[in-house]
Parts: sequence; C-alpha cells; structure tokens
Amino acid sequence: MASAVFSDSRWIARGEERTSLSRFLFWLAPWAIVLVVGIYAAGLCLYYGLNQTNMDNRFAFGLWIFLDLGIIALGAGAFFTGFLVYILKRSELRPILNTAVVVGFICYSGAVAILMIDVGQPLRAWFTFWHPNTHSMLTEVTFCISCYLLVLCLEYVPILLRSRQLRKLPSLLVFEHQLHKLVPVLAGVGTLLSFFHQGSLGGLYGVLRGRPFAFRTGFFIWPSTFFLFILSAIASGPSFLMLVAATVEKVTGRRFVPQELFRRLGFISGVLLALYVAGKSIDTLIWLNFTSPSEGFAPWQYYSHKPFGTPILFAEIVLFGLLPAFLLTYRRSAARRGWLLSAAALACAGVLLNRFVLTVQTLAVPTLAFDEFLQYTPSWQEVASFAGVIAYGVIVYSLSYRYLPLFAPSRGENTHVSGD
Amino acid sequence: MFPGIDGFHWTIGHVVFLSLFFAVVATIFATVVSAAWRTARDFRTNQAVELCWKSSFAELPESDRRCRHELAGRVISRTCDNAFDCRRCSKYSQFAVLPARAPVHSLGLNYSGDRFYHRGHTWVKPAEDGTFTVGLDELADRLVGNPDSIEMPEVGTELEVNQTAWCMKKNGNEIQVRAPIDGAVIGVGGSKQGWYLKIRPRLSSSDPLTLRHLLRGPEVQGWLTREMERLQLQLRSPNTPPALADGGVLMPGLMDALPEADWDTVLADTFLGA
Amino acid sequence: MSARYGMVIDLDRCTGCGSCMMACAAENNVPPLQQATVRTGLTPMLVRKVSNGLEGAARREAFIPIMCMHCEHDTPCVKVCPQQAVEVDKATGIVMQMPQRCLGCRYCMTACPYHARYFNWWDPSWPAGMEKSLNPGVAVRMRGVVEKCNLCHARLHEAKEKAAATGKREIDPADYVPACVEACPTGAIRFGNLADRNDPASQDARSPEAFRLLARIGTEPKVYYKSKEAWVRALAESKSGHGPETGSEVQHG
Repeated sequence: MASAVFSDSRWIARGEERTSLSRFLFWLAPWAIVLVVGIYAAGLCLYYGLNQTNMDNRFAFGLWIFLDLGIIALGAGAFFTGFLVYILKRSELRPILNTAVVVGFICYSGAVAILMIDVGQPLRAWFTFWHPNTHSMLTEVTFCISCYLLVLCLEYVPILLRSRQLRKLPSLLVFEHQLHKLVPVLAGVGTLLSFFHQGSLGGLYGVLRGRPFAFRTGFFIWPSTFFLFILSAIASGPSFLMLVAATVEKVTGRRFVPQELFRRLGFISGVLLALYVAGKSIDTLIWLNFTSPSEGFAPWQYYSHKPFGTPILFAEIVLFGLLPAFLLTYRRSAARRGWLLSAAALACAGVLLNRFVLTVQTLAVPTLAFDEFLQYTPSWQEVASFAGVIAYGVIVYSLSYRYLPLFAPSRGENTHVSGD
Repeated sequence: MFPGIDGFHWTIGHVVFLSLFFAVVATIFATVVSAAWRTARDFRTNQAVELCWKSSFAELPESDRRCRHELAGRVISRTCDNAFDCRRCSKYSQFAVLPARAPVHSLGLNYSGDRFYHRGHTWVKPAEDGTFTVGLDELADRLVGNPDSIEMPEVGTELEVNQTAWCMKKNGNEIQVRAPIDGAVIGVGGSKQGWYLKIRPRLSSSDPLTLRHLLRGPEVQGWLTREMERLQLQLRSPNTPPALADGGVLMPGLMDALPEADWDTVLADTFLGA
Repeated sequence: MSARYGMVIDLDRCTGCGSCMMACAAENNVPPLQQATVRTGLTPMLVRKVSNGLEGAARREAFIPIMCMHCEHDTPCVKVCPQQAVEVDKATGIVMQMPQRCLGCRYCMTACPYHARYFNWWDPSWPAGMEKSLNPGVAVRMRGVVEKCNLCHARLHEAKEKAAATGKREIDPADYVPACVEACPTGAIRFGNLADRNDPASQDARSPEAFRLLARIGTEPKVYYKSKEAWVRALAESKSGHGPETGSEVQHG
C-alpha cells in the first residue's frame, strides 16, 4: 500500500487492493462534473418548468421516458439474478449477485429521479397512491416501482453493512446477519413486483387504441407487449450485467468473474432472447395482418417515413435479436470472450431500440389523416439530465466497488454459517 | 381510495389490486421488522457475540479456516464450517478421540504441553482450583513484541468464547485478542507477568465441552506449520518471490523489525480479527 | 334521463376565421403565451387546415376545428390516468378534467387519438391590466397540468343556477351554449344533446354526410363533422390508401 498523506485504507476491506485515493478521485472527477451539470439542468426544469425541454403537446414523452424504460429493462438483471440464485438455487451465479443488486439499485433510483423531473407536478406524486386507477397501467407501474425500489434498498443494506467500518458495530453486524437470512423473501417479492412492472411498462403502450402503431391485442386485459417486455427485460438483464462486470474488469485491470460465469450468463440471455424473438415475430405478424388493419391502419403507413423505415423492424428482430441470441448460445462463439461481450452489447442495444420504437417512434407516427410525421430533438437540459443519471450510476458503482465487498472471492463465500 | 372521496366506488379490480399491493408492502415491512426484532432478541439472549464471531469467521480467507483434523493429519483436507466451534460440531464424533496434551518444539517456538491453544493464538492453562490462566502464545508474543498500550477487562467481566478479551495497541495498529473460553474474569495480568487473565469457567473445568475446541499436542504442530507458512508469505518483502524457508527462528518484536509490512492483514489473520 | 352533449361541425360552412379559437381562449382564461409555438401552445379549440393534396385548379382546401371529442366508449384518457383526474360525467357525457388532481405525467396526451389535450408548459401570466378580462367562472390552471376542452362546463353551471333560481328542474337549452358555438359567425358549430332524438344537433349527427374522425378505433366520439365533399369525408380515417390522395398543412398560428 503506498503511504499517502491522506489515505482511506481503513475504509477499504482488509486484504483487498485498491488504487490510490488520488487516482480514484481523478477517475471520479469527470463523472462528478457531468453529474453536477445534470443536477443543474434538472434544477432548471424543476424551477422554470418543463418548457426547458423540447417536449411538446405532440411529443408528450421524449428522451426521459425512453431513458426510464431502457434503464428499467437493463436493470432487470437484479431481480432475475436474485430469482435464479435464491429461488432456483443456481448458486454458481453468486459472484455476480452483489453487482446485480448495486446495478439494480442504480437503475431504479435513477429512473425514479428522472420521473420526478418528468412530471409537471412532482409534489403530487402521492396522488397515484391515494386515487389509484386500477384500469391504468401507469398506476400499476407506480406502485410496483416504488415497492421494488424499497426492496432494492433493503437488499443493498446488507452489502453496506458488511463494509469494513460498519461491521465493527455489533448491532449492525447482527442486523446484517438477520436481514441476510431473509433476503430470499425479498428476492421472491422482488421477482413478483418485477414481473408486473416490467410487463406493465409494455402494457403502457400496448393499450393505446389511439396509437395503432403501438396498440396490441393480447391475453385478457394484458396486451402482448406486456409479456414481450418481460421477456426482453430478463433477456437483456444478464447481458447488461456481463457488460458491467467486463467494464469493471477492464477499468480496474483485474479479473473477478470466472469466464464460465460469463458464458453461463450469456447462455441464459441467449435462450431468453431467442424466445423473445420468436414471440416478437409472431406478435409482429399478427399486428401487421390483423390488429392494425382492423383499426383502419395499413402497415405500410408506418414505415413510409424516412428514416424510420422497415430497416428498424429488421434491426430490432434480426440484427439485435436473432443474431445475439445465436452468438450467445452457439458453443464456438460463446467460448470467446470478445464475441460473447459483443453479443451482449447487441442484445442490450436491441432492448433499447425496442423501447425507443415504442415511445418515441409511436409518437412520431401520424394518426389523423391530416397529420404529418413529427420530429423531435431533445434539449440540452434533457440530455444533461440523462448524462447525469449515467454519471450517478458510475459514481455509485465506483464507490461501492472501492469500499464494499462486491466481488468478495473465496472469503466466506462457501461457508454455511450455522446460526439459529 | 377511501370512502368519502367523491365519485369513488369499489370494484373487484380495486379489491384485487389493493390487496396484492398491501400484501407486498406487509411482506416487506414484516421482513425488516422481523430482522430488527431478531437482532434485539439476539442481544437479549446473549447470542450477539456468537453471531458477530461467525460473521467475522466467514470473512477469513479459506486458508485460515482449516479444520483441526486436517491440521492434525487426521483428514486430507477440510474447511471448518462451524466457526471453530468443535463443541457443537456434528462431524466431531466421526473422528478419533482428541490426543492428550504434549509439548511441541517447532521452528524455534516453545509450546508447552501443560496447556491448550486457541486458534486466535492464546493459551489456556488449567489450575488445580478449577480456574484457568490465559496468556498470549509464543508466536503472537514474538509478533507483537512490547505493546504500546493494553486495555484489560475489569475483574468480574463475563466473557464469551471468541469475544474480544483484551485490546493491545502497537505502532498504530489495534489488536483485539479473542477469549479462548467462556467465563468470568477473576484476575488481570499483563505483558510483564507472562499471563493476561485468570478466568473461572462457566461450565465446570472437568466438563469436556469447556476445552474441546482448543488445540493440544500434535495438532499444534500442524497448526504452527501452517501459521509460519502464512507469515512467511505475508511478511516477505514485496519484490521477492515467495520462498518457504525451512529452518530459522522467528525473531521477537517483528512489528518493530518490519514496519512496512501489511500488519493490518497479518494481525487480522493471526488474531482472527474483525 | 342523462344528457349526452355533443357537437356537429359543418365543415362546408367553416371559413377558418378562428373566432371559435379566440372565444375559447377568452372563456377559459388561456394565458397569452408569447413563447409558445404551434406545438406548445394552449389551444383547447384548434382549427386545422386541410387540402385534397392536388395542385392548381383541382386543389380544394377546408378547415377542421379540433377539440376534445368527449369519447363515449372506452375513453382512452380516462382509462390511462393514474390518478383518476379525468372522468366521464354520467349526467352529461362530458369528459371532465380535474387540474387539481393532475400530476402532469402526460400519459393521457399520449393516449388521446385526436391530440386534443394540451399541457401547461409555462406558468400562466397575463400582461398588466389584462387580468381584468379574466372569466371569474373558470379556474386558472397552474403549470405542469394537462387541460382540454370541457364543453364550457362553467356555462352549464350558470344555466343550472339560473334554472334553480326560477324553480325549474331542467335547464333551458338556450342558456347553455359553449363559447365556440356562440362565436362562430357562420353557425358552423352546432351543439346539443345527442341522446335526445329531437335535438337538431342529434338529427344532424345522424345525417348521411356526417362522420367522425378515426371512428374505426371505436372510442365513440361525440363530436361529429359534416360535409358534402367526399374528399373531406375521406379524412375521417387514416391515410390508408382509400379514397383520394389527401394532404394537410397545419395552420401556423
């Protein structure tokens, strides 16, 4: 350990090596600047109103809603990994579990922060709880995401309490032990909540009769997008975790995750992605041939606007769907780290593209006969807030990596601590 | 939501939705409250120390968690999964009866045969009147040298096994020495007296459970060999490759002799620290 | 028996003068937002200019006033509002917006097939002295909430008060006339109770030249349009290739 004038080594877990404090601050500095600019932009929107954005009456949802949906889809790795480890007892995924919880926490807290700026009257957010509309998908989303953020905070607490200084307090250490024993309950609750809100986020657009581009029929009150969103979220979640782990390894220059775990995550992601592609293809065919024409909208209408032509549909299903599904599951490509990570990136891009198509493109496509295809470019305040959330995520993860036992290797991993 | 809101009326959708929601909230709430209540209960029933020890034990590297039977050569390899609590180990009865005490002279260290040894490097010597004397073993003594300050418990303090018995400070490092047995403190010594505590055990001194978890005789040999290996690897200068010297004597006052070593980790692994 | 208030707008009579838009803004205390554009302005009544897409002598143009259609069936905005800040008034069929409960999430704006909902992107403000022209019967909305046409519900209140003052149980239809109907110089907008078969508006709605926008979506809007021109009636459905080629130009206000 290099001796420094000021050192934070008493905060770093014993036996772990971390870079010097000055280098760490040097790494954090640009992200902190982006975060500050983002907070400033958000502050402008809260103070002056949403006229600071480029959203308007025709583009009522813009960059931020796309960010929200995308970030929640990518954060699905948190609940899904917890489900696999605690409910299905796939303990080989344990090394990535703590990272999944932190990533989930970042994604959901970031999404909620953006939502608070996105609404016109943030102080009225509790109205949804007091006057719930059970017919509305957004009510369901609000309830579930609030509860799930709480669950993620509770899952993050044991990781915090295992930090070097906090574990010295016996009351906190015992509480951590007791809370950790109950984490499977939280994992189960998290799975239930996530199933519903990932689906309802899809349902948000699938129920819109007034937007035949997005409107889908489905099962009972749930449009097909409900199920497709769940599938695409759990398909991309493990991929995103792979990318995060690989990035951490690249930045820190150390290996934490065995290659076999990458392959395992990739395989899970690939299989689910293949299922999603199958479901999406069937759904698209039904939509193009039955649902949309019955509303009076012929499919060619949607794709006749440059540059949002049929290449987007092709990209969504084949380039970012079928291709990564194949690469992630085929033995020869899955054995090579480079191919694996590229496929994971394609899978995540596919999910983001899907969310973009259902939010932004849906609003751009005209409905009334005398409407035109609309353009929308986010304002700098919107982009800065978006960037601020990403910076927030990097900072939180960096701090967690430095001070908390995220990747605790053989230490304590296989010990079954017998208690009461 | 509640009656009295203008225009609100209950439908089956409301009942289903709200009951699901409240069930989820109740579950989350119950989880936190349950954890908090169990924590309070653990403190009330004096189980907190044991849980803290088990948590610390889980943080030790696997190489520091070898089962005593592996150290003694009775099994090839076994990691302790019971926080060194041989008194309640379900596997214990499968192995041979524990050996008698015997002296061990190894690697320049003198481990007398009249006492038992705790994995945290303290010894326990039974006296005729049923009490026990506790001291720091040779390896720990040579490591620490003369402590800068010692904080001893008061006479009458009740100690649990693996609880912090006394604290020593040396060169800015804090060393918390773990109590090797349960009992009440009836006498306090120091580094000059050669012993640190006199303890009246909670169970009778003739009760086998009192001392079952402590190492004795040939077990100590295997244990010391491992500990010396660990120290040689941890204390070597960073630019030299690992080498295991066979022969040579552990010199006293190592903390003063090697100030640049990572004492934080060495002391934690030696004294099974938190 | 409950009423079903609706409108029938005769597009052959609409000259695009915009008086209805002005009257609506005055009645509903819409602030004169200098910074607003055609896409961020508050226009509960908005007149759109359309054409048949042809050029030269064959070109035909018309104007379509767009406002909240007060959808009767599966009302999209009512279904999606997370706070139940919108509801269909059972007594009148008017889709009522409650700005006090609106969170400003704008989900209803996404859901509306007719894009008839408008968001308060700015705080309302009036130049000094103009506040004297505000209508005391209509509440001003703060920024961050959604609003739309509510068929001048304040005027319905006044009509009911007037009827109650004279001891009557039913309002006099002549007393409840929305601002746009009152202001239209050609009488293109006809307002009435569509549930009453004897009401002239109701009879107009059932004429063969009447149509509703995007009727195939199935929201049962209560605002009808009427035109003898086939190309105008073809605007009812989307550009799906049926009927003559239609184009459009949004009126830039």
